[in-house]
Amino acid sequence: MNMQIDSEYRPDAVVVGGGIAGLQSALDLADQGLKVLIVERQPSIGGHMIALSKVYPTLDCASCITTPKMSAAAHHENITILTNTEVKAIKSADGMHRVELLQKPTYVNFDKCIGCRQCEYACDSEYPDPFERGLGTVRAIAVPFTNAIPQKAILDAEHCGTCGTCARVCPTDAIEYDQQPRSLTIRTDAVIVASGFLLNDIHLKPQYNAHRNKNIIDSLTLERLLAPHGPYGRVLRPSDGKIPTSVAFVQCAGSRDESIGVPYCSRVCCMYAIKQAMLLSGSLPLADITIYYMDIRAFGKGYEQFYQNAKAMGINFARGKVARIEPVSSGDLSLHVESTEDALNPLQEHRHDLVVLAQGMIPGWNPTVDTPVTCASDGFVETPMLTAPTITNAPGIFVAGAAAGPKDIVDTIAEAGAAAMQVSQYLFQKRSPVLVG
Amino acid sequence: MSDQEKKQQEHEKDLAEFECGEPGRDEEAHVQRQIEIAKGPMETLHLKPEIAHVHDGVTPQLKVGVYICRCGGNISDVVDVEKVAETARLIPGVCVAKVHTFVCSDPGQHLISDDILQENLDRVVVASCSPFLHEQTFRGAVSRGGMNPYLYEHVNIREQASWAHKHDPAGATTKAIRMVAAAVGKLRLAQPLDKIKLPNHRRALVIGGGIAGLKAAADLAGRGIKVLLVEIADQLGGHLNERGRIYPSEHDASEFVSALVTQVRASSNIEILLSSKVSAVSGFIGNFKIVIESLRSDGSTSKMDETVGAIIMATGYRPYIPQNGEFLYKAEPCVLTLPEFIQHMQSLSGDAKQLTYCGQAIRNIGFLHCVGSRQIDGIHQPSPNGALNTYCSRTCCTTILQQALAVRKRFPHTGVFDFNQDIRTYGRGEENYYTQASRQGVVFFRYNGDEPPRVEAATGSRGKDGVLRIIVKDALTWGEELEIGVDMLVLGTGMIPGQITGLIEAMKLAVGEDGFLQEVHPKLRPVELAVNGILVAGTAQAPMNVHETLAAAGAAAAKAAAMFATEEVELNPYVAEVDLSRCSGEARCVTQCDYEGALKMVQVEVDGVMVDRAEVNAGLCVGCGACVAVCPHRAIDLNGWRIDQFEAMIEGLAAEIPHPECSSELVSIQ
Ligand SMILES: Cc1cc2nc3c(=O)[nH]c(=O)nc-3n(C[C@H](O)[C@H](O)[C@H](O)COP(=O)(O)OP(=O)(O)OC[C@H]3O[C@@H](n4cnc5c(N)ncnc54)[C@H](O)[C@@H]3O)c2cc1C
Ligand code: SF4
Ligand code: SF4
Repeated sequence: MNMQIDSEYRPDAVVVGGGIAGLQSALDLADQGLKVLIVERQPSIGGHMIALSKVYPTLDCASCITTPKMSAAAHHENITILTNTEVKAIKSADGMHRVELLQKPTYVNFDKCIGCRQCEYACDSEYPDPFERGLGTVRAIAVPFTNAIPQKAILDAEHCGTCGTCARVCPTDAIEYDQQPRSLTIRTDAVIVASGFLLNDIHLKPQYNAHRNKNIIDSLTLERLLAPHGPYGRVLRPSDGKIPTSVAFVQCAGSRDESIGVPYCSRVCCMYAIKQAMLLSGSLPLADITIYYMDIRAFGKGYEQFYQNAKAMGINFARGKVARIEPVSSGDLSLHVESTEDALNPLQEHRHDLVVLAQGMIPGWNPTVDTPVTCASDGFVETPMLTAPTITNAPGIFVAGAAAGPKDIVDTIAEAGAAAMQVSQYLFQKRSPVLVG
Repeated sequence: MSDQEKKQQEHEKDLAEFECGEPGRDEEAHVQRQIEIAKGPMETLHLKPEIAHVHDGVTPQLKVGVYICRCGGNISDVVDVEKVAETARLIPGVCVAKVHTFVCSDPGQHLISDDILQENLDRVVVASCSPFLHEQTFRGAVSRGGMNPYLYEHVNIREQASWAHKHDPAGATTKAIRMVAAAVGKLRLAQPLDKIKLPNHRRALVIGGGIAGLKAAADLAGRGIKVLLVEIADQLGGHLNERGRIYPSEHDASEFVSALVTQVRASSNIEILLSSKVSAVSGFIGNFKIVIESLRSDGSTSKMDETVGAIIMATGYRPYIPQNGEFLYKAEPCVLTLPEFIQHMQSLSGDAKQLTYCGQAIRNIGFLHCVGSRQIDGIHQPSPNGALNTYCSRTCCTTILQQALAVRKRFPHTGVFDFNQDIRTYGRGEENYYTQASRQGVVFFRYNGDEPPRVEAATGSRGKDGVLRIIVKDALTWGEELEIGVDMLVLGTGMIPGQITGLIEAMKLAVGEDGFLQEVHPKLRPVELAVNGILVAGTAQAPMNVHETLAAAGAAAAKAAAMFATEEVELNPYVAEVDLSRCSGEARCVTQCDYEGALKMVQVEVDGVMVDRAEVNAGLCVGCGACVAVCPHRAIDLNGWRIDQFEAMIEGLAAEIPHPECSSELVSIQ
């Protein structure tokens, strides 16, 4: 795997973000013979997709279909990957971009680290595992997760007890406590912004009281609970480890609501909720599962059929608005629902012992601060050209995936291919203008 | 157990290796080597020395590595993977058997390539998921270890063992063991193979001149690649030409189309054939031979032969046409399809103050969603061809709301009623149509899919509120049955697959249950079709909007551009090969072969005499094996899948399997 760059290194394109959008566009460029640098701020590439359980509508295990892409990128001779590195700014002039990067200290020399995990096993200090969204713990020095790329240990300075054990046990003397953040600038002809999304804050709607009860979780947390190799290896509710018997999904919990500044639909939550409900009913056959929704947006290929299957499996779809969630005794929750289905009893109260909020997608990065890229009123990257939806307002800078608006994996992969094609044309025309006819 | 301990224990399990004790290698040197070469987290644990390795004596050099994947739990929750490993180690020839949580992950792959180098493995088996997902991944891993990638066998113990027998863990485990044994048996007779290399014609054929085809052609041409664009109609642009304005930008659709058409026409890399169709396709990636029939202006047709390296299917969709009488379509003149209504709106003069149709003022208008889409067995009438369109057409909701809003804005005196099951304004900028439509007074009714609204002609000359009555059980008012009068009803018709049976047969393409072209993998390879070198772009694959169609077209172009990045195309070597010493020239195989040009008789000289002998064209042979079955002399066989290998697999499946606990005894497992 290429992880080293020297001052001479000058890739044809820099990809901001190593999620599925970034990986796919890098692969589609590299396969055309172009040199690509992927910059990822997290300790591993793979983005959100590598942390999912299974994916709709195929129910393929997410790891099984993300790892080949991660691994193909890592092994590609035309691709270089920098993790723990953030794109801070892009300065464009004369058709050339200077991409300014900040490499965070990992306190481990990646050239020396062999990923043996001796340090991890020896470390005494634990903290809530960010990959497991705070469920379960991880040591202060650790390889990020089983199928992370690269397989290198990283020390989390905030949780390190500075006892020096890891340095003592490391067989290759890879631990470097004195590492400093490093700035570097890469010159390149083209940039693809593939900085993805974040879930919006679970506390955004005070009436849902997520701060008062641990059993109100967001959807990415449920993905981890459902993952076969997740924090508990099965689905248990966070407050007391009880096996849930009645699970509620609250749709549009962070979307389609002007009052919280997210008027748009996040496009993936209907489908992932259906998927999660199906997976739950597989692992908890006795549990009641209810999805509270306004519209079910099962629009993609095979999605409507997926939705109908879920109904046939006995998952309860209840049309109505969840107005309020109140914690009640023993960690359970009471949902106050404005139902449109029952004339005699439109204001209903339902009790559940685990509630999943379908939070909305917001941009993963705001490029407007220090780059020439502009964003639209929804906060996602603006794409002004109708005939080429991956071109941004900044010449030579392109966009793919959730960075250009909420999108699921299929649509992301297609758009990533399109962005790669747009870049390869751009470079071809820039470099051989005579040939363009 | 803390999480950390659990992780550590699992990790140690990953490390557990069952290795044959090799003579002449002392423990200390071994440990030293481990430290020197430790690349990944893998450390070797030695098996108890008393479990000695059994060689079968026939192929003493054989050193097979077997890797068993837990697949996170997808496999190991059912199959006892440790037992599979332990048993595999006792299969003659197996030298290493290891278990890993995700063999496909980077550390998993390293484990294999490192073992090849360190243990001198010469054959590798991975027992994991479907070969469809990861055969290529592991061939790559063994290549990186310096081994011939065709000395690798893939065993699918997920779909075929753990998932198929999840209620029978013991049976699933036994099956997995037998499958591994079969693979080892097959590998014992395997020979190294090389990919077949053939010249690559760097020119793409794009079939269909709608926006998908135009965009794909423009993208390839912009990259310096030659394109042949074949359109069956006499003009470019497809359906979008007639679609008014494009949501969400509200650009004029025909202006948008002509921008793309101009770009395509201006390119010297693109050759356009209108009124033309592809009538025959043969060959393979890099070398497709195609026949194109063009209609001349005098009505006659001309035929031409062309060679291309890749084909992009951009044949689009057909609009759903309601059956006669469906929601009174054709029975009542004021029932229109969505495209018809858009055309009608276009035809109205800009300063019209009242929405009219056939000279009548439209006081109230209804929009009915999901006509011809989201159909339910037993509720909806299948089309005459038997098709029931169970899918969502993805674009009609937003188009309906765009039109509903346009009516409210242009003709504020017309009441607008919308009948839907869900409003699917999912895309960027689309939800706004829904919000605006509500604000502008569009009235929404919601029906359940199994109780679609009924439409009746109103009694009396023009009814009180309209000439039609729509009767709906409205879920927004707790299932009350309501009656709404309208003067016009717009049926939100969706998309159905294009009529491309001829092309599908010519290229042997796969079609999904919904009738649209079926991609190889909806997540991993969404624009590739099962035939190597043939790609799909746009609504030939499934309903999509403009943005999504352009993205798919760009993605397909990127795949084609990558195919053309090399001078030669590489094909898998699984093709038939003739043993000239056995061939008697009877040509039974040639008559049996279904693939034109794949097998033919040629004259060769044997002992000074010219005789007929079979000859394989490696590019055209698909490796189906029909020839192998009919040759009485066993003179023709398939590389990589020879008959003796099948026999070895069967033996492996049926063999008595050594029991791990007592390796000297042979215990048969049911
Ligand atoms: C709960 C949930 C379940 C889902 N389930 C499914 C499913 O079953 N099927 C499906 O199709 N889709 C599903 N999705 C959607 C899917 O996750 C997205 O479509 C996909 O992850 C988008 O990929 P991306 O690469 O655009 O974004 P991301 O995965 O967010 O990747 C972006 C990457 O860029 C990095 N980055 C951002 N800014 C910078 C910077 N300045 N410098 C360096 N790096 C940066 C981020 O760290 C991140 O790794 C689900 C989503 C959610 C929330
Ligand atoms: S996808 Fe479904 S849950 Fe998500 S915002 Fe859109 S309508 Fe709401
Ligand atoms: S897009 Fe809307 S109208 Fe069209 S089929 Fe889907 S749900 Fe029905």
